[in-house]
Amino acid sequence: MKYRLRIGWREPTALIGVLLTVLFAYLIVVPIISLLYDSIEIQFGDGRRAGGQMGDLTTYYFDRALFSPVASDLFWEPLSHTLSVSAGAITLSLSIGGMLAWLLARTDMFARRWFATALIVPYMLPSWTFALAWRTLFKNREVGGQPGWLESMGYTPPDWLAYGQVPITVILALHYTPFVILLFGNALRRFDSQLEDSARILGAKPGTVARQIILPLMLPALMSATVLIFAKCLGEFGVSYVLGLPVDYDVLATSLYRSISSRQPGVAAVIAMAILLIGVVSLLIDARLVRESRRFVTVGGKGSMNRKTRLGIYRLPATAIAAIIFVLSVCLPLFVLMASTVMKVPGLFAWDNFTLDYWIGENLDTVAYTTGILYTSDLWNAMWSTLRIVGFASLCSGLLGLLVGYVVVRSPVRPVGSFLRQVTFFPYLVPGIAFAAAYLSLFAVPRGPIPALYGTAAILILALMADQMPYASRAGISAMMQLGKDPEEAAQVAGAGWFRRMIAVVIPIQKGALVAGVILPFISGIRGLSLFVILAVPGTDVLTTFSLRLLDYNYTQAANAIVLIISAIAYFGTLAAQKITKTNLADGLGG
Amino acid sequence: MPTIKLTSVDKQYDKSSPVKAVDDLNLEIGDGEFMCLLGPSGCGKTNTLRMIAGLENLSEGAIQVGERLVDSANDGVFVPPEKRGMGLVFQSYALWPHLTIERNTDFGLRLRKVPKAEREERVNHVMKTLGIEQYRDRYPSQLSGGQQQRVALARMLAVNPEVLLLDEPLSNLDARLRLEMRAELKRIHSAFGTTIVCVTHDQWEAMTLATQIAVMNQGTLQQVGTPEDIYDRPANRFVAEFVGSPPINIVEMHDGGDAGLRQALRAHLQGDYAHGAEIASVGMRPENIQIAASPAAVSDSDFQRPMVVTAVLPTGGSWIVEMEDNGSQLFATTNQPPVLNAGDKGVYSLAPGAMHSFDGKGARLQPLAEEARATQNIRVAG
Repeated sequence: MKYRLRIGWREPTALIGVLLTVLFAYLIVVPIISLLYDSIEIQFGDGRRAGGQMGDLTTYYFDRALFSPVASDLFWEPLSHTLSVSAGAITLSLSIGGMLAWLLARTDMFARRWFATALIVPYMLPSWTFALAWRTLFKNREVGGQPGWLESMGYTPPDWLAYGQVPITVILALHYTPFVILLFGNALRRFDSQLEDSARILGAKPGTVARQIILPLMLPALMSATVLIFAKCLGEFGVSYVLGLPVDYDVLATSLYRSISSRQPGVAAVIAMAILLIGVVSLLIDARLVRESRRFVTVGGKGSMNRKTRLGIYRLPATAIAAIIFVLSVCLPLFVLMASTVMKVPGLFAWDNFTLDYWIGENLDTVAYTTGILYTSDLWNAMWSTLRIVGFASLCSGLLGLLVGYVVVRSPVRPVGSFLRQVTFFPYLVPGIAFAAAYLSLFAVPRGPIPALYGTAAILILALMADQMPYASRAGISAMMQLGKDPEEAAQVAGAGWFRRMIAVVIPIQKGALVAGVILPFISGIRGLSLFVILAVPGTDVLTTFSLRLLDYNYTQAANAIVLIISAIAYFGTLAAQKITKTNLADGLGG
Repeated sequence: MPTIKLTSVDKQYDKSSPVKAVDDLNLEIGDGEFMCLLGPSGCGKTNTLRMIAGLENLSEGAIQVGERLVDSANDGVFVPPEKRGMGLVFQSYALWPHLTIERNTDFGLRLRKVPKAEREERVNHVMKTLGIEQYRDRYPSQLSGGQQQRVALARMLAVNPEVLLLDEPLSNLDARLRLEMRAELKRIHSAFGTTIVCVTHDQWEAMTLATQIAVMNQGTLQQVGTPEDIYDRPANRFVAEFVGSPPINIVEMHDGGDAGLRQALRAHLQGDYAHGAEIASVGMRPENIQIAASPAAVSDSDFQRPMVVTAVLPTGGSWIVEMEDNGSQLFATTNQPPVLNAGDKGVYSLAPGAMHSFDGKGARLQPLAEEARATQNIRVAG
């Protein structure tokens, strides 16, 4: 036993393992527990209403959020909105994405390679880019400030078209369609067309083949896409905030935000718990489905074929459909945003209506921001703090991911490895906004030696790190698995100590994985909104929250301009990451 | 059972390029025949099979099954695969992973709305014949490769197809299973009396299974014949070189190697062929070459040359002897432990008529003796 211990502790691996375990327990497990406590403990100022002292246990918040007269506004209506929006978005994106995936993977449509990349672009952009574009187009007189294009052209779009369920559903559908294309397309590409051929030979008509062979085999991929989109919709904040607010169309995420901003941490905790619970359950279902579907893994392998269907006369119309969807989901929104930032009167396409004032103007006659956005110090401050916060968090999570990979693969103590693997994956199950609420609950007040972090950049960095750990640790683990022990052991035999081995062998070999593990989280962090909107304060404004604030004050052009900047960073960053790591976005799915 | 007749069949994927996957193929597959399409990968054999099945369209030509025209590029006739009444077993087996073995097997019968009692009887019969009835409730991924292969066969045999098409049926199996399944296929062929068309690149598979072999290369048909025809009377150099392992020794008669060997061959073969026939190359099968330590052991009428052994390669039960005849490298196989070792000098010899000669275009030259026999046969038959 003593001998075993000595062997186990001889290497720093075990020590690092313990440190990582403590760190992630604190960063991931403790906030969730703190959130749970918030929902059952009487909060500051609620003592009289809840009938007890601050800190007493209570069911007051659950009562209020679930059963009281305001429960329908706080919880049930947002829940039903969330469900109906996700149902709509799932249906739409599955049908559009499914069709496109088939066209891309299994037919001879024109320009398939180009479309395969182009149709993924909406996924690289922040989802509320589309929301802003929509608002720029359809905003009606219901809301003050600059009117939308249609309104200023003399047509008032009805409320149902301008705000609320319809636009939110459509936008989420467009945003998650690439997700379906990737997931479903991969499954289709792996599908052996000889399975269809055998059925046809035995006398099955094409319809029968589709119903009895293709559909059942595609079901796991379909279900998986459904569940993942649902989990993403659950935490979706930006789109619903931009388009739901004017007509009081709340979803769970915005209701959570309202509760936090109206200082009801108890109720917020209940809502966050609910979001968390739904998220965990749906992703557990997904994990279950994936396991189930393994039974269906096609065997043989050799000689399997992926034949392309010839579209014949439908070749051109099919290409046109793909092109239209590309235009609708990429060109149009970006064009609208771009145009809106260079137009004085919205939607008026006249030569003298164009201006670059919103970008680089000076001495404008507005209340604030009298210069173009590029001359505002606020933009550069936000840009700087974005790079600083997101960059630092990504760097940390990339390195930690690699370390987690190292410990998981190498650790002589098995439970440490499996705990780390699971705990770092956990944030994947929790929608960002619920996670942010958990962080707020933990770090809003000083706890033990840790001061109150709310309002500092540290809370953002910690939350981002935890949020990005699933991707970082998965990348780290798979990189370490591939590496194997040999190179390191060779160095060890040659007489290199642990530190030396890390610096001279492991890190240089894992350069690519490390870069990927930093850049990909960086991009998703830059366009992320839900974490920041809860945790950021004006002092730690990042690009996304800055843009949202501008929007709230109706500086539409400036807000749009910033979203364009974010989109550009996200898009080119993704391209650069793919170039550097020679991977495809399909591998880094889920970011 | 019908005869399958392919007439001037062309398959071209890209109209703008002159490359054809299948080029002007004429082939008749007789009733109850076991026809193997043999050739290297990319020779168009699988395409041919898929066209017979109706999974691929013709660019040119026609396919007739019995009296029925199933496919004709010119007349615009196309019978879809589901209406051709054929069975097709794929290289990957292509079992439906979401259905049990039983459901895989009765899929075709259900589609045909065969009454339950009859369906069960036929499924049971086929499963029993192939020895898979104990797996009926399992899923394909729970079976081994050989068992899956049987299910793939059972699935097609259950509907009693007039024609059974096999696409590289044994290539995913290990050596022992392959042997077993080969015997199984032969048994099925005689038990069900089905016409079978089998695609393979494995010459032994073709040799052991087929009643007729069609050798293809680069989309064109090289030779059709019984396995004996193909081996003993290869129509051209391609067939001669493709069939046989180790491959046939080829001596170029125009250049390369030793002039002495060429002269000797020319002298030896002089009377065997019609006057004026130009011999461009000569082939010698390794197993037809005998080696000996001295000329004394060789009969006088044999072709005989001195050589030096360069290597002896035991293959377990037989030996491959690599030797050199003044710069020409030759291989011989023998079932007896070779009397010579590497570096030893000796002689090699071939019995009369054991050589194959080809003209400048690679086509086989027919020996006079064979021609005479053929004429005689015609006379007898007449």
